[in-house]
Formats: sequence, structure tokens, C-alpha cells
Amino acid sequence: MASPTVTSEPVAARRRRVGRRHEAFWAVVFLTPAIAALVVLRVVPTVGAIITSVYKAFPGGIIPATYTGAGNYESLFSDPNFVDTILRTLVFNLIINPLQIALALLLAVLFVQRIPLVGAWRTLVFVPVTVPIVGSCIAWGAALNPNGPINALLSALGGNPQPFLTSPDQALACIIVLASWIGIGYWMLFLISGLQAIPEDLYDAAKIDRAGPFRTFFHITIPMLRRPLLFVLVADTVANFVLFVPVQLLTQGGPQGSTTLLMFDAYRTTYGYGSRNLGAAEVVILTLIMIFFVLLQFRLLREEKTPR
Amino acid sequence: MTVTPHATEAAGAFTAVARPPVNKPPRRRSTSTVVLTAVSVIVGLGFVLPAVWIFIGSFRPNLEILTTMSPLSWHLIIPSELTLENYSRLLFDSGFARALLNSFIVCIASVALGLAMSAMAAYALAVFHFPGRNLIFAVIVISFMVPFEAIAIPLAQQFTDWGLGNTMVGLILPGLGNGLAIFNLRQYFLGIPQSYREAAMLDGASEPRILFSLYARLSGPALTNSALLIFLGQWTAFLWPLLIVSDNSLQLAPVALASTFGEHAADYGQNFAGTIVLTLVPAISIFVLQRFFGRLSIESGEK
Repeated sequence: MASPTVTSEPVAARRRRVGRRHEAFWAVVFLTPAIAALVVLRVVPTVGAIITSVYKAFPGGIIPATYTGAGNYESLFSDPNFVDTILRTLVFNLIINPLQIALALLLAVLFVQRIPLVGAWRTLVFVPVTVPIVGSCIAWGAALNPNGPINALLSALGGNPQPFLTSPDQALACIIVLASWIGIGYWMLFLISGLQAIPEDLYDAAKIDRAGPFRTFFHITIPMLRRPLLFVLVADTVANFVLFVPVQLLTQGGPQGSTTLLMFDAYRTTYGYGSRNLGAAEVVILTLIMIFFVLLQFRLLREEKTPR
Repeated sequence: MTVTPHATEAAGAFTAVARPPVNKPPRRRSTSTVVLTAVSVIVGLGFVLPAVWIFIGSFRPNLEILTTMSPLSWHLIIPSELTLENYSRLLFDSGFARALLNSFIVCIASVALGLAMSAMAAYALAVFHFPGRNLIFAVIVISFMVPFEAIAIPLAQQFTDWGLGNTMVGLILPGLGNGLAIFNLRQYFLGIPQSYREAAMLDGASEPRILFSLYARLSGPALTNSALLIFLGQWTAFLWPLLIVSDNSLQLAPVALASTFGEHAADYGQNFAGTIVLTLVPAISIFVLQRFFGRLSIESGEK
């Protein structure tokens, strides 16, 4: 800056103060719509759900709701069906997220090799991402029909036809396959750009040291890809915890409750059974789980974007 | 550190030359290329096959889809008869065309309003310095990153209480806030030199003018990305329209498609045609948006 003289200093200070007040004014104007949206779309429903969840009312009743504290949470957790839903949701996520990311990583590694027409094969894997999930559910619902093409394929290979979505043992696995058909290609793209950011000379050095493909993969690729891998894993978890459309469209939580995940259960409790208060308690539980993962995701996102 | 690799490289080159079959390493590489290519082709075809089945099925009579499903034969994906009947019935005889129009209106309004809101917030959080700036940034982005589905149920009850059920406003509002859109735009704005803004201020430009005619013009790619995030979020929305709209004439395309799936469980031809329409619209929009915003950013680059 210019050399400070006795006369210019107060002028500059005043200008800076005016500038700051000017900035504060526009900051308020520019941030108001976003903050208003945040309050209306996030704070109000969250607070509303918390308040609703500590009251008790009869479904559709005229009797005013009474304060019950943790009563709804206690009755949820003493219901074996709800405990099963929570456990099922956790197991579902413990399977689907590592599975999708592992397969996405394998394909990402495959599709950065020098292969003829590699871009075309990559695009084919990405095609399912562009199909809206409602369409994917319709297609897989038709394909997994007991008289559908997948059973025809099984028969042609000498296997027995399977009940798929109509079996309590197979329905959730079918939903995992359907969701992965969409998810793998999507997360693969993030991992491909992560792989392309790894400096080539690391691989050259490994080749010179005669490291085999497995050693190279576990000692160079995985450590260098740690951050994108973690980000993708957390973002996938956030998406899969609220997976709703396949359950609603294909199984309605059945057969025998085998595909009732927390998100669908909250919906059914509120709208199917008309228990607003219990449904609100489920929403609060789901939101708490989500906030935890989103905080993790935000941390990873910030670290990823800040230049090292 | 630098000496050792060179030494081993030289040694490696030496042993490779010294061995009698000179062309052995290339041949081994080519067999692995063949294997990797074969795996790529099989994986790619495996992923695309269900989509191909939907696409071809959308041009076949429904009966043919049903009869070729089992037993397995080439007729599963090789049609014997092509028809546009599925599309014509879908667009003219069902409420789907109306639902598509509704989806368009909701998407366009959401992108326009959502982009303006996100750009304003991102600008304030990138350019101005005020206490608590990083905190506000974190709170806004994190709150909008919590998946909308998680709080959709209580929000739908709130909206219904406010009389926003069965209204366009009720459908549009939740699509406006997008944490990643704000995050991306702020990140992009931070990369624009402050001197540009100072120069514009010396020329007497107001803050809104600097944002909308300077920063917005320089941020084509970031705006395209954010527009796409908002557009795709609204285009594929299913739970929210299901909760907030009960009037069929106001329903959005994904829910309309799902409800025809429930009604006539066997009309796959029409269902597949609806799926293809829902898939192609975003693909075309992405293309158009990228051309539009891409040109803008090139123009500003040429200045």
C-alpha cells in the first residue's frame, strides 16, 4: 500500500469503514433469500418434526395431542419390528456401499488402462445413471418378474427359476442389484478423475522397482486415492440411507417386511398408518444419522478442494 | 533417491535387450490388452443391456415384449415389428403429456430462481468479508446437503398447513436450495481476481451489476453445473410430488409414470416409452445448457 502520511490515513480509514458498511449491506441482501430458504425448507421441518415427535395423539383424532417426552422413541425402540428395520437399514448400508464402491473402483482402474475404445465401454457403464430411477425400477421390475428374462437366462444356463422380488430372502438383494446398476457407473466417474490425478511417475517408479500389479494397486493406487474414495463412500452412504423409490414401487416394504428400510418405514408410518407423531420420531432418527454423514462428507469435500 | 531408479531402469533395459526373444514383452502386453478389452466389452454390454431392452421395447407392441421375455432367445432384443404406438398412446391418450409439461415448468422455474439465489449467496460468501462468513457458509451448505428426502415428510405436512399443497409454488420451492450448487459457485467465484471487481466498482458498477454481468459471465461452467444439479434434482424428484400433489392434472412426470406402472402392470410397452422420454429430456437439456453456457464463457474469454 501507499506510504502512510498524516493526512491520508484517516481518509483511508474512513473509506475502509464506509466500504465495510457497504459490504455488510449487500451481504445481508444477497444472503437473505438463501437463509430464508434454509429456514423454511430445513429448519422449520426439522424443528417441526422434533416437536411433533415428543407429542402423542390418536391417529386422525380430535383429542388434542399430549406431551409425552421420549415416549414415542421408547415405544419405537421397544417395537421389535422397528428395531429390525433399523438393523436392516444398517446391514443394507454396510453391504451396498462397500460393494458399490469396490466395484466402481475396479471398473475405474479397468477404464484408465490403455484399451481400444476405452471411452465407449466407460460410457456404456454410465448409461444406467442417465435413466431416471422410476424408469430403472420399472425395467428391473419387469426383468425380475418370475416369468421374465432373468429367469429365462437362468433356465438357459441350467439353473432353477428364482422368485426374486416375491421372496423374503431375495427381495432386498434384488434392490441392491438395481441400485448398484445405477450407482456403480456414477461413483466410477469420480474415481476415474481421482485416478487420473495420480502422478504417472509413481507408476513408472513402481515398474522400475518391479512391483507387480497387486503391489502397485495396494501401495500406490489405494493410498493416493484415499480422499476421493472416502468422499465417494460417504456420499454413497448419504444417498442409500434415503433410498425410497425401489421400495415404494416394487415391494412396498415386503415380502414379510424384508425390504422395509427406515426411509420407507417413516413414510408408511406417517401416511399409511396415519401416526404423525411416531413418523416424526422416525424422521428425527433418520435426520440425525444423515447429519452425521453429511458433516463427514463436508469435511472431505473441503479438504479435497483446498489446494495442498 | 534419483540415482537408484535410473540405475534399475538401465539394468532393466539391459536385461531386456540381452534376452534372446526380443519381442516377448510387447506380446505379453498385447495378450493382457486382449483380456482387459474383453472384460471391458462384457462389463459395458452387461450394464447397457437392460437399457437397450427398454429402448427397443418402447418401439415394440406390448404383446411382443411379453412373449419374448421367456424362454431366452435373440428375440428378447431383436424386434420383429417396430411401432410408435406406445409413444402415441403415452403422449396422446394418457395424462403423461400434461405431467411432462408440469415437470418442465417446475424445472425451468427452479433453475432460474435457484441459480439466482445460489449465485447471490455464493457471491456474498466469496467476495465480502464479514465476521462469521465461514460459519454461515458451512451452515448453509451442510443444511442443504442433508438429503431432502430425510425431512420431506414433515415439510410436506407444513406445506399442506400453509395451503401450498397441490400448487406449483409448493412443487418448486424445495428444489431451490442446493448445497452443492452454492459450494461450487463460491469455489469458482473465489478464483476470480478481486481486481476485476475493484475495476468495475471504480467504473461505478453496483454490487448486483458486478454479480450478474461480471461474475455470472465469467462463470459459465460453474453455472452450468449448478443449473444441472438443480434441474436433475427436480426432474427426477419422486417422493416430494407424491407427498404434496394429489390432483392428477398437477402431477409431475415421474409420479405419473409410476402410477401407470401400478395400474396396468403388464403394459410394459407404454412404461418403457415413458422411461425413454424421461431419460432423453435431461440428456438433451444437458447438451443445450452446455452449448448455451459454454458459449458465454468462451465469449468472456475472448475479450
